Amino acid sequence: MRLKRTGFGWLLLSPTLLLLGLFGVFPFLYVVWVSFHEWNPFAANPEKVFNWANNYRALVFDRGFLASLGVTLAFVFFAVSSQVILGYLLAQAFMRDFPGKAFFRTIHTLPLIMAPIIVGSVWKLMTTPSIGIIPYLLRNTVGFDLNIGTSALAAFVITVIMDVWHWTPLVTLSLIAALVSLPPDPFEQAQIDGADRWQIFRHITLPMIAPALIATVFIRLMDAMRTVDEVLMLTGGGPGSATRFLGVHIFKEVFPRTNYGYGSAVSVIVLYLTIVVCWLLYVGLIAPRTTRR
Amino acid sequence: MATVQIRGVTKRYGGVQVMHGVDVDIEDGEFVVLVGPSGYGKSTLLRMIAGLEEVSGGTISIGGRVVNDMLPKERDIAMVFQSYALYPHKTVAQNMGFPLLMQKRPKAEIEEKVRKAAEILDLTKYLDRYPRQLSGGQRQRVAMGRAIVRDPQVFLFDEPLSNLDAKLRVSMRVEIKELHQRLRTTTVYVTHDQIEAMTMAHKIVVMRDGRVEQIGRPLDLYDRPANLFVAGFIGSPAMNFLEGRLATRDGRRVVETADGTALPLEGAAAEDGRRVTYGIRPEHISVGEGGIPVKVSVFEPTGSETLIFGRLGGQLIDALVRDRIEGEPGQTLPFRIDPRRAHLFDTATGVRL
Ligand SMILES: Nc1ncnc2c1ncn2[C@@H]1O[C@H](COP(=O)(O)OP(=O)(O)OP(=O)(O)O)[C@@H](O)[C@H]1O
Ligand SMILES: [Mg+2]
Repeated sequence: MRLKRTGFGWLLLSPTLLLLGLFGVFPFLYVVWVSFHEWNPFAANPEKVFNWANNYRALVFDRGFLASLGVTLAFVFFAVSSQVILGYLLAQAFMRDFPGKAFFRTIHTLPLIMAPIIVGSVWKLMTTPSIGIIPYLLRNTVGFDLNIGTSALAAFVITVIMDVWHWTPLVTLSLIAALVSLPPDPFEQAQIDGADRWQIFRHITLPMIAPALIATVFIRLMDAMRTVDEVLMLTGGGPGSATRFLGVHIFKEVFPRTNYGYGSAVSVIVLYLTIVVCWLLYVGLIAPRTTRR
Repeated sequence: MATVQIRGVTKRYGGVQVMHGVDVDIEDGEFVVLVGPSGYGKSTLLRMIAGLEEVSGGTISIGGRVVNDMLPKERDIAMVFQSYALYPHKTVAQNMGFPLLMQKRPKAEIEEKVRKAAEILDLTKYLDRYPRQLSGGQRQRVAMGRAIVRDPQVFLFDEPLSNLDAKLRVSMRVEIKELHQRLRTTTVYVTHDQIEAMTMAHKIVVMRDGRVEQIGRPLDLYDRPANLFVAGFIGSPAMNFLEGRLATRDGRRVVETADGTALPLEGAAAEDGRRVTYGIRPEHISVGEGGIPVKVSVFEPTGSETLIFGRLGGQLIDALVRDRIEGEPGQTLPFRIDPRRAHLFDTATGVRL
């Protein structure tokens, strides 16, 4: 094809490349550059001062950062694994026929279209001790006093539940899409071959939906690593630093404290960590499957 | 190995009844073929034997046990689907070993049995491949391999050859037959290809519209079809049907067509004047002296034989002859009918007379 040799293809691509450069590559490089500076516009010296990798070195000794990293990983683990399990069960349920199925499927996806900031404020309303429905119901039914303002564990658990509520439908939808596209024959064949329900799941369903499942886990993992607005709205990162996830941590460094250089360094590290976690998942789950072929 | 008894089996999908009381008895080690046109319940019956489809009425027994309420895995059957239903994410060896893995057999035993089956089916080279890396015929053999490693009581095949090209179909047909001669496992085989049915079966079950039309050995079905449907279905090219009335001419019983042609008969146990359908297979017509004049419309030479299409009065008639006959369309040829090979059916009911 002549298209390949002439620059015409690049010309067609140029608007996309321009936008990508302007809004993606350039800001990213800028953040990396800033992360090597001491920069606080409201400090005595508002100029950027190059300070080598001091921001990164400081990170390693920053208790606040390390604690934040710990709760973030715990949050990602509990939220994403609950979403995958719950999402799969819901997807299986929606594969069956029951009265009102279309209705339930529709309302179950509604959380997806809500902006995180709205989700955060709604959950804040629902969990505020004096006015929220959840503490009210818990007190009147099991006699439990839920106070996410004082209990670190309660706050953490509620953020996980909120994320599960918000994002499980995404997992459900992509798994429904994967399940309906499966051919029926291997499942009938497996019944004849003597597999029980668990064996069919393990040997047939799981491997056949694995590509969709892994893609969904990737998406959820990356999203969960950078959760900010919902949590900021719900708990503000508290009590203490119980829900000060990395996103919240960066926000608090950059905006109230205008510590731009340090905030940029944390951002770069979060990106790096996200890549590492995804890479581990890739090496663990996808690579062995593809190299075997 | 086992017998299979199907007694008064019916099947309803919601309000639609698709199976109306089917009775079939299958002996131990027998190769039974279910044939019939598309959509007449062959697969449904097979799937009911397998346990993939519930039985609405009647009973199915395998090896003397009623299996109506048993799960597929409890019935000890193996099935080969038309689509082969291979597990796409498993290698050939894993596909073939899967039933044994489910029975939690030791690994060494699984490997041994898979290796043996692969040798029988000439798949040894492909054990590490995935199904998408195989040709259609190889996939078909993997599906067969998965069935034979289990040594089941009954094999069920649902049109296993229909996705293969004509040549491969013939060789696989022979392979399946050989396999059955070696293993002697009771087999139920579904096809709509009557040549497959004729060549493979001990016993053919002809189905139409959820009913059994006739059960019998292949040549019995060919020689004495019970009704017009079976007569038209078994045999290729299909039997000629000519409508007329029974009559007596010069002291001989004949079938008289509307245009006055007398078709020869040998003994007919029905009264004159009755409306009948006269059946004669194309291969039982020859061309020669003293035949009935037929106006020929098309000659189809195939090399070994010639198929001649013609018209007798308004009715179509074709003959299959071994000689090379060349002629002009529109010419008239004398068709000689062997009266001993003629079949007579009641036109109204379709039943053999
Ligand atoms: N799940 C179903 N719901 C309703 N009707 C069905 C269902 N499955 C099959 N049928 C009907 O049952 C009848 C028999 O179908 P079946 O698949 O047994 O035909 P078949 O003889 O195997 O045809 P083919 O040669 O095309 O495979 C058909 O009329 C079909 O429409
Ligand atoms: Mg069928």
